[in-house]
Formats: sequence, structure tokens, C-alpha cells
Amino acid sequence: MSYGKQDDHHDEHHGWHTPHNSWAPILLAFGSSFFLLGFAKVFTQTWENDAWSYAIHTGEIWVMISGLAVFFAGIMIFWQQDWEHDGSYELKSLGAPFQGIDVRKIALWMFLMSEMMVFSTLFTTYMRYRTGLPNCTAMAEAGTLVDGSVCWLPASYFIAEGGWHQETAHAALGFMPDTLIPGAINTFALIISSYTIVLALKTAKDTRISEAERSRKVGIYLLTTLMLATLFLIFKMVEWFVGFELGSEEHPIFYSPSLLADGFTIHASEYDYTICHVWENHECVDKEVYQVDIRMAASTFYVTTGTHGVHVFGGMVALVYMVTKAFMGGYTPANAVSIEYFGLYWHFVDLVWVLVFPAFYLI
Amino acid sequence: MSEEEHDHHHTILGFDAYNFNFAVLMIFTAIEVVAVALTFSMKGTVSMSTVIWILVVVGVVKGFGISAVFMHLRGDPDSRVLTATALFPVFFIVVMILFIGMTHPESADSLPAWCRPGFYD
Repeated sequence: MSYGKQDDHHDEHHGWHTPHNSWAPILLAFGSSFFLLGFAKVFTQTWENDAWSYAIHTGEIWVMISGLAVFFAGIMIFWQQDWEHDGSYELKSLGAPFQGIDVRKIALWMFLMSEMMVFSTLFTTYMRYRTGLPNCTAMAEAGTLVDGSVCWLPASYFIAEGGWHQETAHAALGFMPDTLIPGAINTFALIISSYTIVLALKTAKDTRISEAERSRKVGIYLLTTLMLATLFLIFKMVEWFVGFELGSEEHPIFYSPSLLADGFTIHASEYDYTICHVWENHECVDKEVYQVDIRMAASTFYVTTGTHGVHVFGGMVALVYMVTKAFMGGYTPANAVSIEYFGLYWHFVDLVWVLVFPAFYLI
Repeated sequence: MSEEEHDHHHTILGFDAYNFNFAVLMIFTAIEVVAVALTFSMKGTVSMSTVIWILVVVGVVKGFGISAVFMHLRGDPDSRVLTATALFPVFFIVVMILFIGMTHPESADSLPAWCRPGFYD
């Protein structure tokens, strides 16, 4: 695909040519919709005989596969079209209120508006249940906690407070529990990745350096962003499923069990909420245990942070392409805005984390 | 916009806007983490409401820094209209938070019968 000058819409082969707007995003939308529809049909869970039963319906798997195929076809077409975009033509909006602004930029902001609604829905759900359900710790302190209580036990109980063994929770740094460290590192990683994106943009716009140096620097900044995003998802997995322990059981150097190991799951209808009254030599010698239902807190945590994680992963897919293009000399001052437009998405993901981190991890 | 104008408006207090913003974001993130860490290491000395206020202030500063500087919602010729665009969903978000997020999960039980599930006449 080639782009003509904005004031020269003449095409050698077809006479007047129109701006080459991409229809690939429509394919991406259909593909992802089909994939999600198929996912919901293939993997199901039902409540039977007082227990959850899981099933995989292989007969419906074709919907998922077709969705993925359409999605990847959309990505390939999108990238193929973008690969040759040298910035010599940029479609501008003609009508108010966006007159003179790049159509791509407006479209990106429209997309971000829809994303704001998605995350607002998740936050509203969180607020509704957090304010509506009684807090497990408050119930325990008031003496109203009983077996079978449905209450709210925030993720921060496990992450920022060290769980039920918080009195003896390990703190390698001395002032914060080890369980908070993966989330804290992730917060810094996202902030730094936002910075590396703007550095890539700034460098791509820089006309004072040679083309080879520019390509190398932009590539390095984008690659750094990709590595930080990878780090983010790795720590997310560590925090959710894997945990991280260093040293022996008697003398731990670093001890951060996963949320799964701590029992904070979406099926925690009988979570053993433990209150320790007396500690002796890091052992609880007098404790009360109540089986409580904390599924709402776990569900809102995993759905919200998981949705955010999917957005990080989506950004990583785009970054793989952009890094390749950058090292091949694909970004110049003329088309540097492509980095800016990806950056808008990436900063939005960072912005969401600014809310997610304190709301779910810290309080 | 010329290169000179572009360079000029991308400075804060004489520093490069991106670098300045990055430094502010890092400092405020450190404050955020330390504030919560203190509730762990100095139990009983820092109240949760104090921590929440610190987190709100930090969140506002970080949110402004990212959107205004990194997302170019301040200083660019199209900043104003794009800020208005970005704020458009806020109306719906406020409605959602006020009327759904802040209500009790069982509040639907007190609605009139015609407004509850199962009333199909």
C-alpha cells in the first residue's frame, strides 16, 4: 500500500485514489467477538450437588478457532498496511469539533473512551460489593463472624498485610511484607515503560540524529518497553499462581506465597479465615478459624486485574511488531505519530493501574 | 507547529517535560508504596484514613501527570478538544458510580414489585 501526498490524490493506475483507511480493525473486532463467544461456549462451569463442575465442550471449539483465525488475519492485514506507512499521507478530520486533527488520533481516543467505560464498570462492581458486603476483619472484631458468613476480604489482606500470619509475615526489606514487592515492582515497571515510550517518540521525531542512530535508539526504547511489560506479566503470574521463596523454611530470605497458595480464589466459598490470639516463636498457639465465603472479593480482584493484564498483553503483541519495524528503520520524523498513538493506549493502561494498584493491592 | 515551538512548550520549570514528569511519577509512586508499607511496619501509628487520603492525592497527581504530559492533554493545539472527548464518559461513570457502585447490593429488594425480577405482567 502506498500513500500519496495530502494535496495529490491522483493514482497512476486508478485515477483519483481515496485515503487508504484500514478495514482491519473491523476484522479484529469480529475475530475477538467470535473468540470470546467460543470461549464461553467451550469452557463452562455449573453448580451441581453443592459443588462446581467444569466441562469442556469440544464440539464448539470451531467458534474459538474461527475467531482466532479472523483475529490474526486482521492483525496481519493491519501490520502489512502499517509497514509501508511512511507518514507522507495522514488523513485529517474535516468536521467540527475535531477539524484538522489526525483521524487516527481521534479514533484512538474514541477507543479509549470505550475502554474507560469497561474499566469503570469493573470499578463500579468493586465499589458496590466492597461497600455493600461487611468486611471479614470488622465482623471478627465485632464478634459477628460465624461459619458460613459472606464477607469481603480484600486482596490487600494477603498482599499488603501478609495474610492471617501477618504478625510474623516475612519482610526482607524490613518495612514492607514480601508479598507486596511484586505489585510494587510492577507499578514502577509500568511507570518506567510509559517513560520509555515517550523517549521512543521523542527520538523518532529527532531530526538532528542520523537515520541509523535513530532506528537503533527507537528500537532500544521500544524493546525496553516490551521487556518491562513482560516483567509485569511474569510478576503477575508469580503473585497469582507461582509465589516466590528464597532460603530455607526456618530461615527464609524472601517469602511471598502466591494468592492461590493462600486460598484467595474465585471458588473460596469456605475460606479458613484465621484469627491468631497468641503467637509464640512464630507459631500461633491460640487461634480461631471461621469458614467464610470470600468469592466476591476474589472474583472482582481477578476479573479487574486480569482484564488489565490482558490489555498489557495486547500492548506486548503490538510492541513486538513495533520493535521489529523500528530496528528495520520504519520510524522516521514523518511517521513518528504512530508511536504516539500506541503510546496513548499504553499510557491509558498505566493510568488504569494507577487506580487498580491502590484500590486492590493497598487498601 | 514549528520544531522550536514544540520544544518550548514541552518544558516544565525549565526541565524537559517528559523527564520532569517521569521523576514526579517515580517519587509519588514511592510515596504510595511507603505509605502502605508504614501501616504494616508501624501498626497502629498510621490510620487507614490517613493512608487513603495519601493514596487519593498520589493518584490525582499521577493521573494528571500521565494524562497531561505523557498523553499530551496539555499544551498541544488539540489538547482542549481531546480533553473534552476524554472527559465525555465521565458523566456516565459518575452516574454509574453514584447510582450503582454506591448503593447496597440488596437495595433492589426494596424496589416496588413491578421493578423487580419475576414481574412480567
